[in-house]
Amino acid sequence: MKRFGWQWLAVSSLLLTASLAGAATRPLYGGTAHVAIREAPGSLDPADTAQADSFARRNVMALIFETLVTLDDGGRTRPALAISWQAAPGNQRWQFRLRPGIRFHDGSALTAEIAAASLRASNPSWNVLADGDSVVIERDAPDGDVPAELGLWRNAIVKRNAGKLSGTGPFHIEDWQTGKKLTLRAEENYWRGRAFVDAVEIEMGKNFHDQLIALELGKADLVEVASEQAHRVAMEGRDVESSQPVELVALTFMREAQSPEEKLLREALALGVERASIRSVLLQGAGQPTAGILPNWMSGYAFVFPAEADLPRARHQRELAKIVPNWTIGYDSNDSIEGLLAERIALNAKDAGLNLLPTKSAAAVLQMVRIPLASTDPWIALGGVAAVAGVAMPKINGTSVEDLYHAEQTILASRRMIPLFHLPASYAVSPAVKDWAPGADASWHLADAWLGTEKP
Amino acid sequence: MFDHTPSCAPRLSLLLAALVFCFIPFRLAVAGVSDWDEPAQQLARKIAAVTGPGAAALTVENRSSLSKKDTDAASGALRADLEAAGLRLVNPEQAAAFVAVSLSENAQFYLWIAEIRQGAGEAAVVMVSVARAEGVAFAHEAMPVTIRKTPLWAQEDRILDVAVLQESAAPTYMAVLDPEKVALYRMQNAKWQQEQVLAIAHVRPWSRDMRGRLIAAKDHLLDVYLPGVFCRSTTAMPLSLSCRDSDDPWPLVATNPVSFPAVGAPPASAPQLAAFYAATRNFFTGALAPGVGKLTTLGKFYSAAPLPREKYVLWLFAGTDGQTHFVDGVSDQAAKLGWGSDIASVKTLCSSGWQLLAAGAGSNDADSMRAYEFPDRDPVPVSAALDFPGEITALWTEGKGDTAIVVTRNRKMGDYEAFRLAMACGQ
Repeated sequence: MKRFGWQWLAVSSLLLTASLAGAATRPLYGGTAHVAIREAPGSLDPADTAQADSFARRNVMALIFETLVTLDDGGRTRPALAISWQAAPGNQRWQFRLRPGIRFHDGSALTAEIAAASLRASNPSWNVLADGDSVVIERDAPDGDVPAELGLWRNAIVKRNAGKLSGTGPFHIEDWQTGKKLTLRAEENYWRGRAFVDAVEIEMGKNFHDQLIALELGKADLVEVASEQAHRVAMEGRDVESSQPVELVALTFMREAQSPEEKLLREALALGVERASIRSVLLQGAGQPTAGILPNWMSGYAFVFPAEADLPRARHQRELAKIVPNWTIGYDSNDSIEGLLAERIALNAKDAGLNLLPTKSAAAVLQMVRIPLASTDPWIALGGVAAVAGVAMPKINGTSVEDLYHAEQTILASRRMIPLFHLPASYAVSPAVKDWAPGADASWHLADAWLGTEKP
Repeated sequence: MFDHTPSCAPRLSLLLAALVFCFIPFRLAVAGVSDWDEPAQQLARKIAAVTGPGAAALTVENRSSLSKKDTDAASGALRADLEAAGLRLVNPEQAAAFVAVSLSENAQFYLWIAEIRQGAGEAAVVMVSVARAEGVAFAHEAMPVTIRKTPLWAQEDRILDVAVLQESAAPTYMAVLDPEKVALYRMQNAKWQQEQVLAIAHVRPWSRDMRGRLIAAKDHLLDVYLPGVFCRSTTAMPLSLSCRDSDDPWPLVATNPVSFPAVGAPPASAPQLAAFYAATRNFFTGALAPGVGKLTTLGKFYSAAPLPREKYVLWLFAGTDGQTHFVDGVSDQAAKLGWGSDIASVKTLCSSGWQLLAAGAGSNDADSMRAYEFPDRDPVPVSAALDFPGEITALWTEGKGDTAIVVTRNRKMGDYEAFRLAMACGQ
């Protein structure tokens, strides 16, 4: 016995040292997670459409509020505040049965009346009724998307009382300095189980540089990283985590093509953009070049839309047009990368025989846009992009992948937009943060994270 | 009115795919999509509808996580079905149509996509989808002591514990505990058939990182220990479960009153000890019943394991302070061993007779398990690390004492898998 032990002692030391690198430690309770974001929202109300949609805004709301239905990373609907749902034949009348025993942060019970009022506020065109322990939604036309739409954050259930907002989420609002700082406290009796951290403090309006400094100084545990900086930040030894590519960078035309010739010119521009080299140089390898709207992880068919530049074909298309107009391409000068992308695309356009002038003006012929995909449900995501591009969602009867492809193909055929890249949302986290990774849709899931340096 | 099953509302499915996905809840039963005939026929029909009969060149490219074996099988099935549909597969220089098939995938499905080019026009695109399912890999390593893992169960909901209630050469009757129910399964015709589901009634919300234990009882089938809740089953079939709020201590060692045929080590004579569990957290408070020798209160801990010695029992506690505490009834000595939060001991025929199983970090963010012995107070690893495809969420010694139940959450699939761990000596 003893001899056996000595034989293994050296091996033991080596193996133990190796295992010290990290262990399957159960989560610890306690501590405050410090987060920094660029957004500086003027309101926390999910139904406030004046606030720009962003991953940060969605994630802040997800800490406080909840939806009736959630979508998983595969786009499947899952019960949340609703435990079941059913549609009447025709998919116009939907009934969602509420989970019993849920309470708002102010202590009041979640009722069908409150849920219905919340949904009416976020969807003025919907007819929403309370029916016992259920919420009934009546639409003017058949709508099989209602459950997935209820997973959108604008449809979070909010109790509004004299300007005060109350949610049912894992954290309640402790202090809110509008647009500057939000302090949230863990809800002890949260129905999915109390969050591991005691509190979350979110500093708002911090640019990428300041966020990284805060991380470096130990003042932040979770910060945003620009996609094009993610590789460099990781190479500097920081823990960088990225979502799936969930943001579409695209060029949108301000109006529909006025003639077949204009469509040809738009196609020439799409063919002339050297997405691969732009990704290598300007985006530092981040994201994926794309000529489709939905990323491949979501659709599975994105490669069918070729993203490789085809300059000879671009020139051929250009030569079919008699007149080549002077186009302007607008970009957001506050964005870290849009200006450089616009300059580079203007050069590509010139190679194709097109005239494209970058401008900071919002009144340009083309606009560079960054569209956070609205949902992991590909239909909802596609509809969201179509709305931004000003294209009506095609009416397709089926719900198969092939039907989805045809809908996307129809939107692209309008030549109203030129997809360029799909970018992930990237974050740098401090070593103290454990068990954290963003969801496919860039969701934080902070209630599941815990801090390793804090004692329970 | 018709019901929508909330957890299974695939919108991108063909009917077959939806059926497969919705009605096979037990993932181990879906060992992988092995029959490619149906999608191959569907795609061949769609391709033939575009090309018509004639000479076509076919290429197949795998852009998915399918293995080469599956890719070859899919490709072979598709070729056969295209020819059956009237296409003559030829070299590109002889072809009137060019069919490029990509085997792709998204979050829910495998997609077979055919881009068909005829003449100078744009390619026509047709596709079919097949529900994704992946098998479970089983691995064991050749070392002085080998940990063998036997898959017992897998499901989407968090598995808290599994109790094997009957077995001959292999388990034949078992209970699976998750936060909302105890499900009883019986092996029939080489498949687990659900026999009964016992709902767990509880008022308070469960804690995050929830834990629970199933303990086989002498005069009834099961006791169930959950955070702040205790449940007891009835004796007679059909069983029912009676639950109440409770802060009773949880047994740290299960003793199995059910007699099993001898399939390994002799029944373990494990010492009895119980501990109070913090109902809103994920750890034991440190209060013991009756205690280890003179010590009745320790620091908070996640798990405990006894290692019987000749004259006393050495207890190991995985503390919330990240240290392993060695408690012999007189002293409490702590050491930082770099282990995880879950430990369990098993009595076997190998080596010294008792091994400690401890979780650690494996490769690629997955957890691993290793067996140790304690000649004195220093742990000596006696097995190679056994990697799991995700994090370990539960580890409990089984009632017989010679095996343990480990539950892991598969990082890739997201569901929970329960395994029985047994020691094989001298391999």
